[in-house]
Amino acid sequence: MDLSLARSGLVQEARELLRDMEKALLEIEAQGSSPETINAVFRAAHTIKGSAGLFGLTLIVGFTQLLESVLDLVRSGRRAVDDAFMTTMLDCADYLDLLVDAIEQGTESVDPEPTLRHALMAKLRVLLAANSISIVPVTPTKLLPRKGLRPSLRSELAHWHISLRFSPEVMKRGMDPLSFIVYLRSLGEIVYLHTLTSDLPPLEKLDPELSCLGFEVGLSTSSDQETLERAFEIVREESEIRILPPRSSVAEYLRLIEDLPNDQQLLGEILVAAGALNEEQLHEALLLQQSLKSGPQRLRLGEVLVQQELVPEKVVAAALSKQQQVDERKVQEQRIVKVEASKLDLLINLVGELVIASEGARTTAARAKSTELVEALAKMKGLVENVRDSALNMRMTPIGDVFQRFPRVVRDVAKELDKQIQLSISGAEAELDKSMVDRLADPLLHIVRNAIDHGIEPVAERIARGKAAQGNLRLHAYHESGCIVVEVSDDGRGLDPERIREKAVERGLVAANAQLSTGEIYQLLFLPGFSTASQVTHLSGRGVGMDVVKRNVEQLRGEIELESDVGHGTTMRIRLPLTLAIIDGFQVAIGRTVFVIPLDAVVECVDMVTAQASQNIINLRGSPLPYLRLRDVFGIAEANNQRESLVVVSYGQQRVGLVVDRLLGDSQAVIKPLGQLFRGIKAVSSSTILGDGSVALILDVHALVATALNAAHMGPARRETTQLVDERKEAS
Amino acid sequence: MTQLAISALPSGEPTAELGSTQYLTVLVGDEVFALPIGSVREVLEFSGMTAVPTASPVVPGVVNLRGAVVPVLQLSARFGRAASEISRRTCIVVAEALFDDGVQPIGVIVDAVREAIEVEANRIESRPPFGSGIRADFVSGLLRLQNGFVVVLDMKNVLSVPELEHAAI
Repeated sequence: MDLSLARSGLVQEARELLRDMEKALLEIEAQGSSPETINAVFRAAHTIKGSAGLFGLTLIVGFTQLLESVLDLVRSGRRAVDDAFMTTMLDCADYLDLLVDAIEQGTESVDPEPTLRHALMAKLRVLLAANSISIVPVTPTKLLPRKGLRPSLRSELAHWHISLRFSPEVMKRGMDPLSFIVYLRSLGEIVYLHTLTSDLPPLEKLDPELSCLGFEVGLSTSSDQETLERAFEIVREESEIRILPPRSSVAEYLRLIEDLPNDQQLLGEILVAAGALNEEQLHEALLLQQSLKSGPQRLRLGEVLVQQELVPEKVVAAALSKQQQVDERKVQEQRIVKVEASKLDLLINLVGELVIASEGARTTAARAKSTELVEALAKMKGLVENVRDSALNMRMTPIGDVFQRFPRVVRDVAKELDKQIQLSISGAEAELDKSMVDRLADPLLHIVRNAIDHGIEPVAERIARGKAAQGNLRLHAYHESGCIVVEVSDDGRGLDPERIREKAVERGLVAANAQLSTGEIYQLLFLPGFSTASQVTHLSGRGVGMDVVKRNVEQLRGEIELESDVGHGTTMRIRLPLTLAIIDGFQVAIGRTVFVIPLDAVVECVDMVTAQASQNIINLRGSPLPYLRLRDVFGIAEANNQRESLVVVSYGQQRVGLVVDRLLGDSQAVIKPLGQLFRGIKAVSSSTILGDGSVALILDVHALVATALNAAHMGPARRETTQLVDERKEAS
Repeated sequence: MTQLAISALPSGEPTAELGSTQYLTVLVGDEVFALPIGSVREVLEFSGMTAVPTASPVVPGVVNLRGAVVPVLQLSARFGRAASEISRRTCIVVAEALFDDGVQPIGVIVDAVREAIEVEANRIESRPPFGSGIRADFVSGLLRLQNGFVVVLDMKNVLSVPELEHAAI
């Protein structure tokens, strides 16, 4: 099949399947395996293999086939799940991810990590072959060419196949297994000889006087069955000796495999390599047997194959596609439409233009003083707003998309640092603009890593402090007043203001005698080059993280807060606007320039009464309110004849007043960034185009609030403390 | 806003290899300058600009260019001279500059736009060693015209984004 047409679809499907696989694996690790989760992992691997097989992607098919066989062992209860096993499984999922990347990039025939593949496949083979210590994987001495696809009942193996499983006591009875094999050599030519060590106990328990090895011998001889059987007569009773003549039926070989479950996969490989049967026969028969195991009649492998011969396609197709049908049904139930991101962006742009045009029409209608027109356009405005909201809503994705990678990250990092961490996630349904989701991932990742690395203590330390051995890490998202808030909290060490201060002084970031509030000390963490880690780990502690995190968050027009309790834990809170594209704004004018204040930030508007104001503080109904006269701050000279107005705005807990010339009312604003050249401008964050085509500037409420507080000397405590210190100095 | 139609070569550096090159002559204060036509996207009549508060006089504000908010550069301020009064003849020459996120338009305020001229290669002279009143790296050459010499502006340096960005501080 032609890969070029299906490439992106295949990649997307594979990625989704791998995500499912990882999710199921993590669930198994956390809560133990269940038939559903094991099947989920198996299904994912199986479907990937099937799709890859359609396009002849041998790298994936080969790997997933092996993985499937191992998973099968778990599924059939022949292997228990332990830590090392889970890690191997997750590593395999990661490797498959790399293979899928290669498909996406068009390099699917090149193995991106041959050494990793080799190591993983060796591990998988070990898992298949043994339940105990690792053994050297058996490689067949001769590889015969593959046979045709049609199953044939009679094998083409021209040699005798002798399977020897001596009783453990054989040597105590005075017989040496080796001598039997040597004797065979005198009867003919040994074509292949495999030693199977699956029954070897761990080294500490090994009794050298017991025989634990199995042997598979291929013998080319003209002797007859009786001669060969007589050779093993002495040990016949306690040992399992099987002698298969040349060109036995395939069923016989399969029965051999079946009767030696410990070595099933290896035996299969040996026999396939020897030419007793071909891989397809072996694989299909094994698979078929598995899927029919739960049926009323447990079929023997040989019989399975016979049945297959009689009713080839139906039975095989039914068994193998049963899983796929279940999957398809599930997908249909979800009813999701996949849309190209560019189409969505185009729609959003057009809606933005529609909003502007609608505003323009309204302004013109107002000027034309036609009530009918104004009414009609008001109705239109309502509809346009709905379209705008729906369009923007399409861009909204649940933040769970970002959160979903964290269980894995937390698991891996916790393992690496040998800490115990319980991750809880809430609010994953909270939605935000798609473009922000991607840019939020990295900062969040860094914060989480920090929390695990520096926040949560190692088990011993936690116990010493009377805490539970397992640390708690919580990811929580929620909506609040037009923003989305993401919290990362841990119950670890918490932030120690003293240590932070010391480190800052050490690095020359702050003067030694500077007086800082706790909040200001926390902010020091965001300075470049800062790190309080006494040990720099490869994850964090290099001191390049938090300032980048802060910058990333600010680029999303968000902000980051820190809360902490020394010894008890830390919470990091990121606050982001819901969308970067359109805001509801309140228009004001100063001179000829129109400014827009984000509507969420506006508390109220009052007439400006100069008499009640002094020194940047105004008396508003009895309480002092710091304020700024924007025309002074902005240096706007044009005369204004009207009475000024005071707009009270809020940011977080702070409230200040902004004095403007005229109030113009609310409207939607499609945000247009001002661009790089105005990056340093503080009071203005972006711009928008008004209905009449002129450009209005969107005020940065945060910056203005800070300025107003400073101007009114209601700034950070530092000022007062410094003043106090100075006064004290003067007094002494 | 009305546009004066200008036929322009695809944007690029003026090449001395061609038989002749086109320029757009503009007036800044009372001095004439030539802009390589390749650096000019379009010319607009000046009909107001939104001043960005606390911005530097070199990049004082923005204009609406068919739905995009485009920064404008006051060329006289860029040359270190006093800003000239806006008159009926003031125009915005839309050029391009290399920003962090790629090539984007930037408006250049000039006091008047004169004409588009075509000049043979042999009339273009290299930068003179003596000063011509503006920074040496803003001058890429001289045009020898009938009525005197005209300075050809090196638009890449005039519109250097890192410099303009820091002019604001």
